[in-house]
Amino acid sequence: MHEASIAQSIFEMTSRNCLEAGYSEIKSIRVRIGRGCGVQPDALMFAFEALKAETIASGAALEIEVVPLGGTCNGCMEPFETEEQYILSCPRCGSSSFKIEKGYEMDIVDMEVN
Amino acid sequence: MNVKVVSRILEANDRIAGENAGILRQKGIYSINLMGAPGAGKTSILERLIPALNGKRKTGVIEGDIAGTEDAERINSLGVPVVQINTGGACHLDANMIREVLPELPLDGIDILIIENVGNLVCPAEFDVGEDMKAMVLSVAEGHDKPLKYPLMFQKSSALIINKIDLLPHVGADLARIRKDALALNPRLKIFEVSSRTGEGFDSLTEWLSGLR
Repeated sequence: MHEASIAQSIFEMTSRNCLEAGYSEIKSIRVRIGRGCGVQPDALMFAFEALKAETIASGAALEIEVVPLGGTCNGCMEPFETEEQYILSCPRCGSSSFKIEKGYEMDIVDMEVN
Repeated sequence: MNVKVVSRILEANDRIAGENAGILRQKGIYSINLMGAPGAGKTSILERLIPALNGKRKTGVIEGDIAGTEDAERINSLGVPVVQINTGGACHLDANMIREVLPELPLDGIDILIIENVGNLVCPAEFDVGEDMKAMVLSVAEGHDKPLKYPLMFQKSSALIINKIDLLPHVGADLARIRKDALALNPRLKIFEVSSRTGEGFDSLTEWLSGLR
């Protein structure tokens, strides 16, 4: 359910940026969501579709890039990536000491405007 | 026309959270964002903790619920300042909700502000409200599988209060497994085992809380 608040934040931030840049219509928005965030892309999409009606983003497509969890293992020193929402041990060597480097993003990347 | 935005989606929330933190820090208040599922025992734990902290640290409470004032009434009867937020359907508290109620609390008379979030094991973990620390309650009746099913809250919390340990013989939850999985997700997690019904385990929790600055 927190996807509704997140969609609202995306909508507010992009609308403000669009108007400030001197444009009046948002065509598309690209966002980057880490898999570790616990944000469901389908629910985010649904919330955004519900919010955008009769706004400057009414025709906007939301493009969600999901970033897998990844990092570097302190045991085997190799980089890793997983499709899970969390990681307890290095998929290669099993070490539980590692550094997470991606997968917790929640960013707006850019947008197309008219 | 392409416009680069490149900002955190929750930037507005995080900015207000930063302002809240500044206000609380200026007043010398340590703040705790207390999270957990509905029925885990968040309010019951406060009913034990607040009298135990009495005399050591002055507490204040913000109660977050979708509707109703029952929790605030329970805290109010303990004689400490409390304000109720009704989110009207929202599944978590956000920084702006906290900012709006801060003027309603006697901040000069509070050492520890406990913000009891909406009962939910998922959404509150994403939203900073300006707290010094996130803590969570998990009751053994919810089952030992919860850390791996709801990893984010365990990762974001600094303390895990495992409640209802008096029910262990009846619910068959594996306490060792809760500890092992929670620590695997978050090696720095401080874990307490309590029963808000019997009072067991509250001495160490109270001592730890009263030392937080």
